[in-house]
Amino acid sequence: MSVIHTENLVKKFRRVEALNGLNLDVPEGAVYALVGPNGAGKTTAIKILMNIFGPTSGRAEVLGVDSARIAGRTFTAIGYVSENQEQPEWMRVGALLDYLRPFYPSWDRSLEEELIRQFDLPRDRKLSNLSRGMKMKAALASALAFHPKLILLDEPFTGLDPLVRDELIQGLLERAEEATILVSSHDLAEIESFASHVGYMEEGQLRFSEELAHLVERFREVQVTFDGAPRLPERAPENWMQMNSSAAVVRFIESRFETERTGAEVRGVFGEVRDVTFSPMTLREIFLAMAKTGRNAG
Amino acid sequence: MKQVLNIFKKDVRHYWHEIVVSIALLAAFARYDVRSWANGSLVGYAYEAGSFFFDSRLLSGLVDVLLPMSWAFVIVRVIQGESLVGDRQFWVTRPYEWKKLLAAKTLFILVFINLPLLITDVFLLAKAGFSPTHYVVGLLWMQAMIALGLSLIAALAAVTASVVQFGLALLVVVLYLIGMGSLSEQIPSSSFSSSIGDAVQTALLIATPLVVILLQYSRRTTAKSRLLIAGFAAVLLLILLATPYQTVVAHQYPRLEAGHQPPVRFSLLPPDKQPDGSVPADEKEVRIEIPFGVSGIEDNSIVSMSGVMVAIEAPDGLRWNSGWRSLGWSLFSENNRAGISFTVKKKLFERIKSLPVKADIWLALSVSRDQNRTEFVVPRGEFVLPEVGFCAARGLSYEPDIECRSALRTPSSLLVTYDISQSSCPGMEGQARAKPGEISRYWHSHSDSGPADFGISPIKTTRFGTVNNASNARAIAGFCPGTPVVLSHPELLRRTRIELELNDFHLGDYQDRSMRSSAWR
Repeated sequence: MSVIHTENLVKKFRRVEALNGLNLDVPEGAVYALVGPNGAGKTTAIKILMNIFGPTSGRAEVLGVDSARIAGRTFTAIGYVSENQEQPEWMRVGALLDYLRPFYPSWDRSLEEELIRQFDLPRDRKLSNLSRGMKMKAALASALAFHPKLILLDEPFTGLDPLVRDELIQGLLERAEEATILVSSHDLAEIESFASHVGYMEEGQLRFSEELAHLVERFREVQVTFDGAPRLPERAPENWMQMNSSAAVVRFIESRFETERTGAEVRGVFGEVRDVTFSPMTLREIFLAMAKTGRNAG
Repeated sequence: MKQVLNIFKKDVRHYWHEIVVSIALLAAFARYDVRSWANGSLVGYAYEAGSFFFDSRLLSGLVDVLLPMSWAFVIVRVIQGESLVGDRQFWVTRPYEWKKLLAAKTLFILVFINLPLLITDVFLLAKAGFSPTHYVVGLLWMQAMIALGLSLIAALAAVTASVVQFGLALLVVVLYLIGMGSLSEQIPSSSFSSSIGDAVQTALLIATPLVVILLQYSRRTTAKSRLLIAGFAAVLLLILLATPYQTVVAHQYPRLEAGHQPPVRFSLLPPDKQPDGSVPADEKEVRIEIPFGVSGIEDNSIVSMSGVMVAIEAPDGLRWNSGWRSLGWSLFSENNRAGISFTVKKKLFERIKSLPVKADIWLALSVSRDQNRTEFVVPRGEFVLPEVGFCAARGLSYEPDIECRSALRTPSSLLVTYDISQSSCPGMEGQARAKPGEISRYWHSHSDSGPADFGISPIKTTRFGTVNNASNARAIAGFCPGTPVVLSHPELLRRTRIELELNDFHLGDYQDRSMRSSAWR
């Protein structure tokens, strides 16, 4: 069952098309990383999901509710944190939590205390006097203390030092079992460690969406070594990306890797070769390849 | 209710400075308001009350300006605390229910603006000698009118993201109003007539802010809300431009029916003195004052000169029409002269001043019957005037006026008449008594029909001045204790318009070189 489901979501800001037919499904219990370059439409998609603004066309559902109807009580089940959300800076951390508590029937005081301790938040400090990292921690604590069914994080780690980022991720993962998490980011390294699913957005569209383990499994950097000068094929399989050659070596990225099938495909294209190696790729390398190729890897 | 109170308490904690300043200003307002009844309301008498009076007037004027500004500031701050503009506010992704948020903001304004004002008004009424329990409806009416004014501020606050943005929006509104005022001056008759357009404007004035506020809280569609405000401004402009003013005036002031006697007769008098026909180079307009002999006003009639329109047709075919202009003075049975004045462009005047023109003068008249006359002798100290309030002779000791304080609204129609020769004032050295039968009148009337006038203070002061109409301008006059006066409550009977035709009329003969404003004598 999808906790988030969108169909042909389009959002135009005057002439700029921020979303261009987004189809996204986030399964229940997933830690879904929505990644893509700046300007891909991630924040716009999340803001439509949160009904901060409406779509130009298409539809979206969050927790079974049409996103256009998300308001008031629906938010008792959703924790939303964004890097660019304006917080009531005049409030002290404790006052913010005291203020928000009555809004949530499921607010957990002991969890609140736990989060305060875990994030080392000073209750009596004004938000305006907190560092960026501490502000993000306070926002996250206030978004987790009521056991949300869905946690939406829009670029939560941008500009944070690694220590704070790890603390936030740790705090988040400890609650991952009871919630579905959608986190957007343009920094792939930070989400690789904890995401279960990943979706890649580019130019307002979802290029692909799948389980992270499967994604990492199906991408390989292939190096084919020849005895002499390599013969580049006139037409390579469409799942081979960024093919290049040097001296006696041809390199490319395989996006549908299966040891036997890929091996047979290499032999079929190049004939007899001296050696073939398949190297695993990091998420960052996969997405760089995707971005450079600009084509659908699915 | 829990959510409403939660938001309310948060706002109180956050905006207590603004609340304190606003309430302090309200207290200062009450203090100065009370002082103004005790000391009289005219600056001109300052020297009698000592220098503190000037300071007091200055501070009082400052408080009068600062108090509404502080209310506006409180409203802007509290509404923009959960800003309705933008997509980055933390509260939009929290379980706020818009009706409860709106209720919390409304509660805040009611508790910290309306309630203190209501308490102050009750205090001022009691302090002024009126029983507040007799004026509950009027007090609530005042609150409703204040709330309407505050809703305009709230609507602007709801479509702006910051105090600065609000200030800019307010500036745009002010510029728009100035523009509309200037445009109104350019459109003949527009400043005189009231029409169906007024009712539409009032309805829109009430509805637009409410719709904008509801739209913003329920949908946060700022662009649409701003468009709605712009649409409202455009409709007002359209009403101003498209109203057929002359038709409206003709409907409001119908021609005298055949066979009916006019309420007043006018006969052209020769000009007071022969002007030389020259116009100072720096003047762009020339004022014309035409003296008329006045007759035919019944004893108990009052003829108010509501408006005038002048049309001129020159022998060379040139036509000019002034459009309807307000006059606002009255003729009584004892008046035998009246001056009707208007202005023409200097260029036009120069062209036709010596030509025999045809001038048509239309007068919009409101005829009232002077009724319920009661004789009254001004007592010493404070006295009660029925249907008015508490009054006293105040002002210059040798020529005092009657100053009255009323609860919630000034009297709708009260005429004070007295024989100047019977003034009990001692006069100053060299002053003589007026001739018996020389009458002075002061008529206070206003058409507002609500249970209370618009304003912050529930105490309204009216000053019945001593217009010295005696043939000797230095005659002893004034409402000193012991002066017999006649009080009456004129009632409007009908409105009508009459036309005066002046043929072979030389405009140059009636050029008014004095700086006097339109007056009757």
